[in-house]
Amino acid sequence: MSMSTYIVTVTAIDCVGIVHSVTGTLRDHGGNILELSQTVMRDYFTIILAVEFPEPRNTRTLSAAIIANGAKFDLNVEVIAAGTPTHVAVVENGERFILTVLGVDRPGNIHGISECLMRNGVNIVDLHARSDGEKFSLVMEAFLPQALSPGVVRQALEQFGRGLGLESYVQHENIFLATTEPSPVRVGPPPPRQGAAVAPY
Amino acid sequence: MHRTEDVLSTLGMVRQHKLDVRTVTMGIDLQPCGSPDLKTLCDGIRARIVHYAGRLAEVCREVEARYGIPIVNRRIAVSPIAHVAAAHTAEGYVAVARTLDAVAAEIEVDLVGGFSALVQKGWTQGDRRLISVLPEVLSTTKRVCASVNVGTTAAGINMDAILAIGHVLKDTAERTRDHDGFGCAKLVIFANAPNDNPFMAGAFHGVGEPDCVINIGVSGPGVVKAAVEDLVRHDPNVTLGDIAEEIKSTAFRVTRVGELIGREVASRLGVAFGIVDLSLAPTPQAGDSVGEILQAMGVLRLGAPGSTAALALLNDAVKKGGSFASSSVGGLSGAFVAVSEDLALAEAVERGDLTLAKLEAMTAVCSVGLDMIAVPGDTDAETLAALIADEAAIGVINHKTTASRLIPVPGKGPGERAVFGGLFGEMVILPIHAAGGSTAFVRHGGRIPAPLSSLRN
Repeated sequence: MSMSTYIVTVTAIDCVGIVHSVTGTLRDHGGNILELSQTVMRDYFTIILAVEFPEPRNTRTLSAAIIANGAKFDLNVEVIAAGTPTHVAVVENGERFILTVLGVDRPGNIHGISECLMRNGVNIVDLHARSDGEKFSLVMEAFLPQALSPGVVRQALEQFGRGLGLESYVQHENIFLATTEPSPVRVGPPPPRQGAAVAPY
Repeated sequence: MHRTEDVLSTLGMVRQHKLDVRTVTMGIDLQPCGSPDLKTLCDGIRARIVHYAGRLAEVCREVEARYGIPIVNRRIAVSPIAHVAAAHTAEGYVAVARTLDAVAAEIEVDLVGGFSALVQKGWTQGDRRLISVLPEVLSTTKRVCASVNVGTTAAGINMDAILAIGHVLKDTAERTRDHDGFGCAKLVIFANAPNDNPFMAGAFHGVGEPDCVINIGVSGPGVVKAAVEDLVRHDPNVTLGDIAEEIKSTAFRVTRVGELIGREVASRLGVAFGIVDLSLAPTPQAGDSVGEILQAMGVLRLGAPGSTAALALLNDAVKKGGSFASSSVGGLSGAFVAVSEDLALAEAVERGDLTLAKLEAMTAVCSVGLDMIAVPGDTDAETLAALIADEAAIGVINHKTTASRLIPVPGKGPGERAVFGGLFGEMVILPIHAAGGSTAFVRHGGRIPAPLSSLRN
């Protein structure tokens, strides 16, 4: 059976019951949720879902149904047909790093940071940033190409942040797994070299 | 997605509270280098160290960049040289020390430990030769660190060796008079010395260790202090049990950082990973002090009654948190009370709150012992030996490691300042009460027998 997958995004002023309403509509139309991410940002509810259906659906009809079922929430809904997953990593053999930028808030911070990353072939997969008064903080997960040293990325970010009051950190995610999870410490595979281990002398 | 709070919390340990890996110490077995020909011995030592540690500095820099955790020192610990160079004269031992000093500089290693002898039950000719050249080695080399194990719970205490070391300290201090007797800061006198200690000056690669191993010393006084301060700030009525729990969870995180770095360095070098030493190692910087942790717990005047109990709580909580974090815990693993290296402790000495007697009492519940303590330059060798014997007795009787790092400062007396510089810090010289009062006891020599292991009250 061929399945059709759609990406559904819904935003609204946050209140109790939105997830229940949206997922109920999708269920009633035969949808199965593959993945879901939801957050509330500054009192605004945002959800994005990947949903598969046994047969193709009309995106406008689906969108209208979600809006109608959740009329009391005044939902903004977008439904698009998802392309066929390629299952090819955007950054081949990339490693997941956590990038943190802290400092003074100003327009253009995230644009400048993302430009540094784009130039180095770094793919952002998760990002959270906020300004709190004059303070700016950004934490993101990103894949660095294997050949790219984290020091190079940090240098590029520091160069951008110099004079703007921003400090940057680029750290492999294992350091955060080690300090927050009780499971055994994980170490990434050593980078390939000629001649592996040190032979006994 | 990692929780932003978790990321910022871990990052804050590094950014604000001075969490670092204090040392990546590579232990290297030098026993195969033994040769009756001095040149062959020295060449073999150099080649073997370069073979294993040639890339240590480079790999540490890679790992530092990967995890964003500073690695402050890179060090080498070798097999006790008293054994390795046993076939040689005193001059041969000096030549070996110079070889170690040169190769450490060549491969960008800060310090090399293991110019050591284990003499708890008796001493060989080689042990005596090594001890006899310590003043020359410690005053003429830059990176070589020495240690002598003078006692164990199983063997007792070698008082002959301790008296000899009293004289070694006097001679070493005099030879480094221009630097307030700094040569003595590179000599540790142990009881129950661990075989896998990564911290200097007492690191050596002991019996039972593999050819090559990576051991890690973490440092987290600032992180622990911040955690305790936060806890008390939010609720001034927290119990000491609550404080212990907070220290445990912080020690867990600090230990995990150490294990990750150690395993990564070992993996990249293709050698074994050994242990994480949990010791809280202070530096002379504000905010990186074991003493400040005790102050955060409410002992505002270090040395006041309660200091020993607070230190015991801290030491135990660190061990519990670290032991849960890793099955590879070893070395000294406690809280150092290295006086000149710890700003708050040094200040307490200067105020007169912290005395030598109180420090000795505190060492019964923590690691390591009378560490980095400047004493008057005119202290006689027998009194120095007696101080060492007291500290060794605490370790031997209590089945724990203790150590002494005493610096008789030439030409200076109680209340004057001794300045060692860098991580070694500075302090006001502590007086020794009733100095000279135990000369006859020390001169009896021989061995204090091993303690009874039953009837333990």
